[in-house]
Order: sequence, then C-alpha cells, then structure tokens
Amino acid sequence: MNWLLDFYNYRIVAQYLDRFAAGLGNTLTAAGISLVLSIIFGTFIAVALLSDRQALYRPIAAYVAFIRATPLLVQIYLVYYGLPALLPIAKSWSDMYFGIAALVLNSAPYMGEIIRAGIESVPRGQIEGAKAVGMTFNERLRHIVLPQAFANTLPPLIGQTAVLIKDTSLLSIITVFEFTSAGILLNSERVRPNESFITIALGYLAIYVVILLLARMVKQRLAGPAWNAQG
Amino acid sequence: MKRLRNAIMAAVTACMGFAGVAHADEMDEILKRGELRVAVQSQGAPVSFVNKKGERTGLAVELAKMMATDLGVKIVFQDYDFKGLIPALLSGKVDIIAADMTPTPQRAAQLLFSRPMFYQETVAVSLKDAPYKTWEDLNKAGLNIGATQASSYGEAIKKFMPKATLKEFAGGTAAVTQALSGGRLDAAVSDLGNVSNFVREFGNLKILDGIITREPLAFAVQANAFHLKLWLDNYVELITADRRLENQVNYWWNSTDWEKDHK
Amino acid sequence: MLERYWAITVSLFPFLWKGFIETLYISLVAIVVGSLIGFFIGVVRSQRVPVLNGLFGLYIHTLRGTPFLVQLYLFYFVLPNSGISWLSWDSITAAFVALSVYTSSYVAEIVKAAIEAVPRGQSEAATALGMTRLERLWYVVLPQALKLTVPPMSGVYVMIIKSTAILSVIGISELTRQGEISILRFPRDVLFIYGLIAAMYFVYCYPVLRFARWAERRVGAARIVDLD
Repeated sequence: MNWLLDFYNYRIVAQYLDRFAAGLGNTLTAAGISLVLSIIFGTFIAVALLSDRQALYRPIAAYVAFIRATPLLVQIYLVYYGLPALLPIAKSWSDMYFGIAALVLNSAPYMGEIIRAGIESVPRGQIEGAKAVGMTFNERLRHIVLPQAFANTLPPLIGQTAVLIKDTSLLSIITVFEFTSAGILLNSERVRPNESFITIALGYLAIYVVILLLARMVKQRLAGPAWNAQG
Repeated sequence: MKRLRNAIMAAVTACMGFAGVAHADEMDEILKRGELRVAVQSQGAPVSFVNKKGERTGLAVELAKMMATDLGVKIVFQDYDFKGLIPALLSGKVDIIAADMTPTPQRAAQLLFSRPMFYQETVAVSLKDAPYKTWEDLNKAGLNIGATQASSYGEAIKKFMPKATLKEFAGGTAAVTQALSGGRLDAAVSDLGNVSNFVREFGNLKILDGIITREPLAFAVQANAFHLKLWLDNYVELITADRRLENQVNYWWNSTDWEKDHK
Repeated sequence: MLERYWAITVSLFPFLWKGFIETLYISLVAIVVGSLIGFFIGVVRSQRVPVLNGLFGLYIHTLRGTPFLVQLYLFYFVLPNSGISWLSWDSITAAFVALSVYTSSYVAEIVKAAIEAVPRGQSEAATALGMTRLERLWYVVLPQALKLTVPPMSGVYVMIIKSTAILSVIGISELTRQGEISILRFPRDVLFIYGLIAAMYFVYCYPVLRFARWAERRVGAARIVDLD
C-alpha cells in the first residue's frame, strides 16, 4: 500500500471529507437550480425563435448568438461585474446567485434549442394515427406527443445537464465554494496536488455516472424497451 | 493477477529509475540548459506585472532577472495564478518560484525556501465611506472579506478575523480589489505595496489602520534542490552586501519611483 | 468617457491581438489532431469491436464526465508526479494534448452516431454486391456519414475554441490571459476589457456557428447529438 500512499494519500483526503461534502452540496445546488431555471427560460427562447415577430425574434437571436460564441469564463466575469450596474437589487445578492444567474444565462439557449428540436421530432403520422383511433387532444398529448418528445429530448438534455454540472466548476472564480474549491483548499493548505486534483476528477466522474444511470432508468420507464430497440 | 501487478510495478519502477539516473544536480541542469525557468504570477504592481511596453517586470521579476544575468543563462518566465505556482514547481515545470510567497510550515514541508528576499506588511482595505477604522473592526459575523485564493492573506483572515466570512479569488489582488470597489465585499486583505497601487487606481478605497502580520517573502525550489537553495541563500547574502537588494526594494516597494518608468 | 474607452482599446489591442493569435493557433492544432483521433475512435466504436469498444467507451465517458479545467490540472500537474519522465510536458504541449484528447471524445461520438445514422439498406446492398466489411465502410458508409458530421462538428469546434480560455491557468498567454494582464493596468475598466475579450471571441466563433447552421440546412439532417 505504500506506493499508493506516496502517490495518493487518501488519509489526507479523508480529513477534508466535510469540505468536499460542502462543496458537492453547493455544486449540486447550483447545477440543480440552474437546470430548472434554464429549462423554463429555454422554453421561452424556443418559442421566441419559432415566432414570426421580428421585434421578439431579433433580440433573442442576438443574445443566443452572443452566448454561443463567447466563453463561459468571460460571461461569468461579465455577469459578476456587470449585473450590479444593470440591476441595483443584485448588489445584495450572494455570490451563489451570481453564479446561478451566469449559468442560467449561459445554458438557456442550449436548452431552448433542445426543446425546439424535441417538439419538432414527433412525426406527423403519429398524431394523425392517434386521431384516427379516436383519441381526444388531451389523450394525444398525454399518450402520444409528450412521451415521444420527451424521450427524444432526453439524450441531449442529459448531455446538457452533464455540461452544466461541469460548468459549475468555473464558479470558483467568483468565490462560490463548490466542489473544485474544496480540492483547491486541500491543495493550498496541505500542498498536495495529486490528492487535490484526482479527488476532484473522481467526484465529477461519480456525478456523471449517476446521471447516466438515472437517464437510462427514465428512458426505460418512459418509452419501454421497444422504443429503445429501434433507437 | 499478482503476476500482472508485479509486471506493472516493475515497469513503473524501471521508468522511475530511468528518470532518477537522468536527473543530475539541478544547478548543472540549469547551466546545461542555459535557461532559468521561473514561475511568476501576474498579480499586479509592484511585485510582478506587465508594464506599458508589454514587458514583464516588478520587484520579484527583476530579482529573478538579476540572478539569471549573474548565472549567464537566459530567463524564461511561466505565468500562473497563485494556486498554480506550487503545483508547477512540484511537477518540475520550473526551477524557482519568484513570487510574494510566505514560507508557511505547510509549504515548507513540500518545498525548500530561500532566505527571505524582502518583507511585506499585510493590511486590510475597505471602501472609503465604510465605518471601519482599523482592521480589528473587521472581525464581525456577516462581513465578507476577500483574499487571493490559496494565499497567506486568506490564512490571516481565518486567523485574525475568524467571525467574518472568507471569500477567495483566483484572480489575485486585482480581482479582490475589483470586487471590493464594486461593492461585492466589505473588505479585503493583501500586502501593503500591492494594495497601495490599487487604492490609488480606484479612488474609492482606503487602507485600514494597523498591520495584521509582517511576513517574510522567499523564493522557493523543489524539496531536493539543495544546491539551488544554497545558491539562493548565498545570493541573498551577496546582494544585501552590495546593496543591490536594497536599491530594488526601495525602488519598487518603499516608493512610487517605478510608476513613471513603467505605468 | 468614449475617448477614454477608445484610448484603452488602442493601448490594449496589440496585446489582445497577440493573445488572439495564440488562441487561434492552439485551437486549430487541437481541432485537427483531436478530430483525427476522434474519427479513428468513432469508426472503431461503430464496428463494435469487443474489448476495444469498452476501452474507448471508458475513455470517452471519463473525458466527458469531468470538467476540462480538472483534466488540464491532471495532465499538467499530476501526470509528471507519476515519475515517468516522458509524461512531463511543458505548458504548450500539455495544452495541446489535453485539448486534443478532449476534442476527440466529442468527435468520436459524432462520428459513431453519423455512421449509425446511415440507413442499413445501404450497407446491406453493398454486402449483396460482394463487398467486404472494410470496403463497405470505406466506399459506402463513410462518405455518407461524413456529410452528416459537418453540422455537429462545427458546434464542437466552437466549444473547443471557447475552452481555450481555461488554458490561462497553466500559463498560456491566450486571449483571456492577455486580457487579465491588461486589467492590471486599467483595473477600473474591468467590465469594458472583458467586453473587448468577448467581442474578439465572437469574431472567431460566430462565423463557425453560421457555417454550422448553413451546413445543417444543406445536409438536411437534424443534429444527431447535441453537445454544446
């Protein structure tokens, strides 16, 4: 075991478990809230982008282009230093709020794109078939359109959620104490880069694996094995 | 399974052994390479920054340049944020860290520090119209106090203002004063030289009365680089004797002379 | 006010431009190398080679499941501590390796999905003509699949270009780093300088995004996997 302790001293990591747990809590909070808000906000964006009204379409399209063509790192700084000037209430916000605001602004356009594609992905024939067997609008929506739209949206949505969780690691630059910060704390107090960075990597990997498994479960329940077989 | 593990261990040991043979005395390496590789952070004037001409300069940087000139080798700077300095040295990316680094016991357990190059005074800063007079006023629950991530200023906040909340910034003193000036913090802790520069720049900040700590600042080398460490100690002795160190410290640290040449 | 901003822009532009060139250079190398590796992995994975499939799956998920920042730290700071001397890279090599490997994980999935999206009939018809497995892949499936990869690939390239912003932590003087150093000279104008930096990224990334959109319409396929 000595060679392991030389390279990765898990005893030191164990002393920091509470810090890692606190960081993990903040990471999941930031990612969870941002996920929900960016899906809501993303739906508005999807609707706006499908709209014919230029006054609605143009500003949203410009915003989407800006977000997609600039790095999140720069966007976080712009939100952190710029938002208080635009929005006086923001001055009293905690850093976590700023982090969530930046993440939502960043991830909503991607969510919007996913939602739009999901709605468009249900073939017309499905709806016509449902009408033919005499389903009402609500029944069609509940049994035909939404499950398929959701099942089609799920893989990219999971992908985007994974990206979102990884992106929370950048919130450490505006002093949010998330999972990466816990590792950096270990490194600054004990000067052990291996223990610090490997633990961070393993932590994110664990979250990612849980998400993958959850996604697989949801997909099975939602659409059944038959849908998956042809997909 | 056991045989596989043994084979892997043998391979790893072979690689390590190879690396061990290849590694001569670190001083020989520098001379052979003809390059002194130095890790710096660009945290701002007057310790380490990039001037108006785009040249890297500052007290720590000029001292390192002096060393390279005396050794007759080229100097190569690698620029990291503060928390990247020690990992860079430990993983052999650089020969020396030349920054405003305090030789804390935890750091000294992993690295070798030279004798102190110069001393800094840690102070607190707040907004001009804030109700604080001395740094002792800052030890209150609910106050957010900023410092560079992984720095000894953060340690000072934990130690001397335990009731306040520490906020750590990767961007160094620049980011901290920025956040303070923009109202994101109640106060910040950093060194006097660095902070004075920013206080002049912003105009809405003040330095609180009292020195929190007085800390020695030293250059660092890898834990087994004895020759280099002794060379550095000798160098400090030498430039103290011929007053080159004093001149540099006066120019950068104790006055604003550098401003007209570099700003 | 406007004059002041103009003066700052003029004084900083040479530095930002230098950073922009560095960003351009690193991103292009990573995109080319990463695409080649990713293409190879994607093709192998689409063929469901036993063992290799699992190994590459692990590779892809590990890279996609951890933040690029953390990967960069591992490549730059932790690998050298393994004691294996050839794994000790300088900043620029570590940046190339980390970014190329990261790119490859996304490219591989796109290539695999594109190959699987080519209708099975194509491959079956080729079999009927007596083509071997490699011939089918080379002459029938890949030409059709490659066309499908263009739109999502552009999305990944934009993501990679944006990821270079993180390289500043290992001392690469790319655009963001140059901007941060500039902020030390004009600390009061942090917002304006970050705005300038954002504008320069926009100039680089926006045409690529437009190209992706255009290609998407030409190819006529929905995005296979949404990655970015």
